[in-house]
Amino acid sequence: MKRFALLASIAVVVVGLAVLATFAPRPAGAARPYEGETIRAVVNAEYVKYSLSLVEKDVYDKLGIKIETEVIPADAFVAKTLLEFNSGSSPWDLVMFGPSNMPDYGRHFEPLEPWIAKLKLDFGVDDIVPVFAKVMLRYQGKLVSMPYDGDIHIMYWNKVAFERADNKKKFKAKYAYDLQPPKTWKQWDDAAEFFHGWGWDGSDRKLFGAGASYKPSGSGYSYHWWRSRFFSYGGQYFDKDMKPLINTAAAVRALDEMVRTMPYYPPGVLLFESEEPKTLLVKGDIPLLYTWTSAGKRVGNPAESVIVGKAGFGLVPGAEIDGKVVHRPAITPGRGMAVSKYSKKKEATMKVLEFISLPDQSLKIVMDAKTIMDPWRVSHLRSPIFRKAFPDADKYLDAIEASFPYLVPDPVIPAADEYQRKLSFEITEALAKRKSAKDALDIAAKEWDKITERRGLEKQRAAWGEKLAEMKSLGIEYHPDWAAKAK
Amino acid sequence: MAIAIERPRIAARRVKRYRVHRALGHVLTYLGLFAALVFFLGPFFWIVTTSLKGNEDFFAFPPVWIPAEPSLAHYVALFTRSSGARYFTNSLVISSLSMVAALVVSLPTAYSIARWRFGGGFLSTLLLVLRMLPAIALIIPIYIMYKMLGLTNSYLGLVIIYTVLYIPFAVWLLVGFLRDFPVEIEEAAMIDGCSRLRALVQVVVPIIAPGMAVVALFAFIATWNEFLFAIVLTGIETKTMMVLVTSFTTGGTDMFYGEASASVVLGVLPAFAVAFMLQRYLVKGLALGGTKG
Repeated sequence: MKRFALLASIAVVVVGLAVLATFAPRPAGAARPYEGETIRAVVNAEYVKYSLSLVEKDVYDKLGIKIETEVIPADAFVAKTLLEFNSGSSPWDLVMFGPSNMPDYGRHFEPLEPWIAKLKLDFGVDDIVPVFAKVMLRYQGKLVSMPYDGDIHIMYWNKVAFERADNKKKFKAKYAYDLQPPKTWKQWDDAAEFFHGWGWDGSDRKLFGAGASYKPSGSGYSYHWWRSRFFSYGGQYFDKDMKPLINTAAAVRALDEMVRTMPYYPPGVLLFESEEPKTLLVKGDIPLLYTWTSAGKRVGNPAESVIVGKAGFGLVPGAEIDGKVVHRPAITPGRGMAVSKYSKKKEATMKVLEFISLPDQSLKIVMDAKTIMDPWRVSHLRSPIFRKAFPDADKYLDAIEASFPYLVPDPVIPAADEYQRKLSFEITEALAKRKSAKDALDIAAKEWDKITERRGLEKQRAAWGEKLAEMKSLGIEYHPDWAAKAK
Repeated sequence: MAIAIERPRIAARRVKRYRVHRALGHVLTYLGLFAALVFFLGPFFWIVTTSLKGNEDFFAFPPVWIPAEPSLAHYVALFTRSSGARYFTNSLVISSLSMVAALVVSLPTAYSIARWRFGGGFLSTLLLVLRMLPAIALIIPIYIMYKMLGLTNSYLGLVIIYTVLYIPFAVWLLVGFLRDFPVEIEEAAMIDGCSRLRALVQVVVPIIAPGMAVVALFAFIATWNEFLFAIVLTGIETKTMMVLVTSFTTGGTDMFYGEASASVVLGVLPAFAVAFMLQRYLVKGLALGGTKG
């Protein structure tokens, strides 16, 4: 009897403990509604994979979802991902893409609005920088993606070069106006010429006049560098009938100036991608660079930068038209994240997309210098933590914000990637002096015609018509007379 | 008399001049070799040292040629954060299997062509024509076919395609070696009771082993370095080392110079190691193939 009582007591205790274990409040870390789910993301570089790794732990702690990230090299990314999508399936749930390719990707993305209603998601769309909200999120009017990287160009300068009294004196004697961070392309080219080949920092080193990325790779570096000039001289991609305008007077003038000033740039500039000129800037070897906003975080990193606290940040130069400077910095091209229409884990992926887009989570990504992701929320720009992240971070973020009203998007129509590759290649051909600027741009225009013909003139014209209206609403129009009168 | 005295002097002077010229020739040869060595191995040396440097040394001026405190941190990051171990293993498995498959399929094909002119010259020409087709022209149809057969993102799919792609080259090489092999030895083995298969495996193969080593080496290196099919036909489970290298080295190497360099080092080392191991056979094999008129 005693033995039975003992066994019964033990049984009661065990059952009690089991009940307690089942119904007791679980520690916060265990409240993971999608525990056991793994989603697949696809991105185009290791540093993008790294950026996701910054939030992976929080995603798991909050949602119980693991992210497995596949990297497809940038040059093959568009072809490979579209090949998968066009075959009617995709191994990925979360897809990174270049917003300029939205017309090719959009139909493979899951619209977000039904899921916002169903899962009560909050993507904080009101907090997205308006120009990005306008050009990066929608396909055929439907919200399909969230920004991930707010790529734009701003200008950086080394204050040492511009503030040394000796430099100012010499510059004024040569150019008959005061040395200052350039506001126009004329001033930029003068400064590049002036600073090239001597120790403008007071040393006896032979330093360079300015920096740039002119490699004609898939991302179209030389094309991005060219189009800021081109648009400020009144250029536009196509007219309303899809006739390319990339070989007009504005286009030729922009490219001619770039070719003429090539000697003031570092040797190897034709092979430079994004990071080489940034490195020259932070090492104090170039006084001027306009490039991606991510460079600011390297400028402010004392572990590698010799210009911490000595750098200026501002708008990419423009052209003086009728006494007013017209700036046209480029959206270059940014990154978006979307949920694949073919995903079998749409709900979990929607939750992940919402989570990584939250202001605090996305801030972690855009603040980390190694991700080279750039701010895209208004709250990123106003974040007190970001504004104090390094000396003059507030000025850097203000320069980004000041650029937003003037930004020029890519030609966001089907085959955008093809158009850009062809043009970028020809621009670099001219920069390498293998063709004249006019010849190179004429060839590029013919290539653009071929792409349009192949894709269907009517279809392309309809898509471009929408973008033309969108660009007009941003204040960007074709001005054939500007090329002649721009100063 | 004077002439008799002069002759040894002239001869000595000539010998001296010859020695000077020879020494000068050696110096110039070694200088040329050294310059070539620096030209070809310099970049690789820089990549190796960069993979062992700390982040602060990448752009240091004056350049840091050899890091004071070499670190394997970038290799660790490559294997942990960038799934380097998975890609490395994939490359190793796919390259090894493709190499073996190419040999297994090519040897009997080459043997039948060499001994019996199987296909009457048409087969060998057809094989060569297959080799002439650029891979880029085949990639879309192959992708569609693979998608329908469920072969994308699988070891089997990649091994099949690499084997098929490599067979023409392997067959042509092996046909040369087999035609050079004296048929009398093979016949003697068969008179002694060997079947043809046994004669091939136990008599012919050991003798043409250097030739097979050449085929194996080229198959391994070609597969290891292949990029186009690897990028299109693979998924996250089967990506190869070359895809990883390229994901670091295109689109801006950005802030990951260390990992990028480590990936390049790991990307070339296995092919280098296999070449080194088979070097002895490689030289013999090339010499053997070289006797073919």
